[in-house]
Amino acid sequence: MLEKNVYSAFEKIVGERNISQDLAVMDSYAFQWCNEIESAQRGEEPQRFGVRPLAVLLPKSTEEVQAIVRFCNEHDIGYKAFCTGMGPWAGLSNPRAIQIDLRRMNRILEIDEKNMYAVIEPYVTNAQLQSELFEFGLMHHAQGAGPQTSPLASHTSFVGPGFTSPYTGFSGRNVLGVEWVLPDGAIIRLGSYDHNGKWFTGDGPGISLRGIMRGWLGAYGGLGVFTKAAIRLFSWPAPKEWKWKTSGTIPEYDWDIPPFWKMYVLNFEEWEEYQNAMYELSDREVTMVATTSAPEGLAALFTNTKQEAIESIFAGLLVKTRNYIVMLVAAHTEREFEFRTKLVQLIMEKYGGNDLIEEGVTVPKPMHYGETVRNMLGGHAFRFSNCFQSTHGGMDTIAMAVRLAQLNQPVKQKYIDKGVIGDDRGLGVWITSYESGHMAHMETPTVYDPTSVESCLGYAAFQDECNQMDLDEALGMPFFIVGDEVHNFYAERTMHYANWIRKIKAAFDPNGVSDSSHYVKGERKK
Amino acid sequence: MIVASAYHKGRVKLTPEMLDVIYSCTNCGGCEVSCKWVYELEPNEAIHELRVAAVESGAGPMPNHKKYIELVERNKNPYGEDPKKRPGWLTDDITTNESSSTLYFVGCTASYRREEIAVATAKILNSAGEDFRLMGSDEMCCGSPVYRVGDEKKAKEIMKNNIQQFKEAGIEKIITSCSGCYNMLKVEYPRFVEHDIEIVHTSQIIEEFLRDGKIKLSEKVPMKVTYHDPCHLGRMAEPYIPWEGEKIEVLSQVYIYDPPKPERRGAGGVYDAPRNVLKQIPGLELVEMERIREYSYCCGAGGGCKSAYPDFSLWASNERLEEAESTGASTLVSACPFCGTNFKDGIESRKSKMEYFDLTELVLRSIGGSK
Repeated sequence: MLEKNVYSAFEKIVGERNISQDLAVMDSYAFQWCNEIESAQRGEEPQRFGVRPLAVLLPKSTEEVQAIVRFCNEHDIGYKAFCTGMGPWAGLSNPRAIQIDLRRMNRILEIDEKNMYAVIEPYVTNAQLQSELFEFGLMHHAQGAGPQTSPLASHTSFVGPGFTSPYTGFSGRNVLGVEWVLPDGAIIRLGSYDHNGKWFTGDGPGISLRGIMRGWLGAYGGLGVFTKAAIRLFSWPAPKEWKWKTSGTIPEYDWDIPPFWKMYVLNFEEWEEYQNAMYELSDREVTMVATTSAPEGLAALFTNTKQEAIESIFAGLLVKTRNYIVMLVAAHTEREFEFRTKLVQLIMEKYGGNDLIEEGVTVPKPMHYGETVRNMLGGHAFRFSNCFQSTHGGMDTIAMAVRLAQLNQPVKQKYIDKGVIGDDRGLGVWITSYESGHMAHMETPTVYDPTSVESCLGYAAFQDECNQMDLDEALGMPFFIVGDEVHNFYAERTMHYANWIRKIKAAFDPNGVSDSSHYVKGERKK
Repeated sequence: MIVASAYHKGRVKLTPEMLDVIYSCTNCGGCEVSCKWVYELEPNEAIHELRVAAVESGAGPMPNHKKYIELVERNKNPYGEDPKKRPGWLTDDITTNESSSTLYFVGCTASYRREEIAVATAKILNSAGEDFRLMGSDEMCCGSPVYRVGDEKKAKEIMKNNIQQFKEAGIEKIITSCSGCYNMLKVEYPRFVEHDIEIVHTSQIIEEFLRDGKIKLSEKVPMKVTYHDPCHLGRMAEPYIPWEGEKIEVLSQVYIYDPPKPERRGAGGVYDAPRNVLKQIPGLELVEMERIREYSYCCGAGGGCKSAYPDFSLWASNERLEEAESTGASTLVSACPFCGTNFKDGIESRKSKMEYFDLTELVLRSIGGSK
């Protein structure tokens, strides 16, 4: 429990209604997806309850956030900001810490149509922002975590790949300016905002603070609190008169597909043909989506229930699917559409591929087009066992993504044979290209049973073996690195980068109160 | 779900704040629609079970709930009104047939607080030539207010006694104008007490009368209206289908149910009947709100909230009224006396120009019965 005087001081900042230290309320913050793996590794019963905050505060403004952070610095209380939260990195590691829940800061502050950026508060969700942007013929990059999650959290603090990544890149690439309450309570605004009131760039005239603010991976909330972010927008490829319209009901929704959209599942017998096609399709910028997974993944993407997914796996996907790319041609005009679809056809023929949709092997329903651009398809994978997690994967070239997928297969199969993870014959990966194909993302989604010690530990062992393989086979850097130990693991062969981010952490957080959780810990001021 | 899991694991106790969390849910069933898209969850059941646990441990229900449960036991209604006055709404021009096997189950709110609904319903039934009887002062609360706050033991007793009473009276069909009563009799009762009585809501029977030509909507009702789906007639009205079968591991770590388990996702409620009726009223224009059918926003009164958290209930009602006003409609229509009461309170509090009517009132007007 917090000392009475501390609680009263916090209460004064946010008001009586916006603070709690009730254990049940605290537990609802301590409960996070994947905590069960860490608890199993500690030799405990697998469970999702992690470290309980001593209190939860709900500020409504940057000033209130700043006051909380300053008070924490003065009284040696750890803190961590929380918005939509998905994973143990959203929670705490310090038992003497509070959680700053930003749900009351949920406004879209600005949509600059001409300069193509939006300024948002932390609790704006992807769905909320997208629905406003359609009016302007715009879209943003929504991370694969889904429409219910916070784009600010992803843009400021994570890599954030998504289903539209070939077109929109990844979150870390799209953050422009931010309003940032530093770990010690000072406020800085990055980039153009402070000199002209526009947020179109996060880089100022001097050195760019974006590298310190988030760098490659993001700080997972371990370096202060972001209270505003300007994020880049993109043209929504549909005629202006098109409106978002859904009908039907759960689980069979219908969606009005924009007129010049077409989905493909291009299938290639060998990885080499796949790789060449992926390079060319990305380079020619014909597709908004370029996603690869296993046949089981395809079943999850284009069905609406677990039953349906299982049936489709056994109805032919296993036999007829090899190395595929789910693609979405999304054009503004008929001519653009014709050009792109012709190009897709030519590339498919050039590399000897076939289209599994045209052949009726898989049939995406109109709503799956909508689910693709809402980034909801990843969530479908939860249907299999109510749980999955991904390895740390890689963020490198398309060729490296393919190499990772190939090397991953026998490793994964070993754990499948032990019966501790879901059986996708080791083929379950997620690959997407980024930005015209000069980069790609690869991770290995893996189904496990969150209630079984063997399954949680089996998944953890599989992940460790994949990490080791990254080093042994020189597979590049993962897109996700959690905690000091894993950073150290990779840092040995990568110029000890972790020492540098620790120095930054120590310099910006001299009192060590911005809870590192799954980021690195800096040295505290002596 | 998390709080339920924490409680189940013995991590937390039923503190006053936790009770506030548990009891400020209106039991609207919104989670039945939004939370089952990818997960196998029963969040509404979990909330209910937490309430049951709260009552069993002596921590729940909330003080105002305890008061009205006592009143239900003593006076057969949660308002503490005299049971003898229950049929006080009955006017001389209404005909009942006490030997009929069809019962109009009036419910506590229409009997004591929204009598105009009881009158309209009875007159519509008369007009259609539908024979019905009343339980009069013997009518007991359906048990909804008791059941919803987790006093399952007393609620079951009420259900059992009511079914016994219906059987003794030879009732084969029950008509109800209250969504809460409808949900109890149609959905919850069969989970605890076996019965084969047909349960019909007024919106359904009126739709049937119109289809069979038993009533004619001849009088113009020149209004622009918007319709609010009561939670207990919509999402929560989907029946529970008992399931028996086995869990089969089809792939490592992946199980399916054989035969497939029926899922309650809120889309199978009574959504079309009230709309089909409204659309047939001459002169009436129906415009829809943004959140309708299984996505409908709750009026804020359910689950014991109006009693324990009146400010929250009123706030929710105002949220919904704001949405209703934004359609340009002059009138909000629904099919539940309890929603109606909360909306009337909301209209008064926000000094809205909007009027509120129950579906039955507009139908009565259109058949010329309100003259």
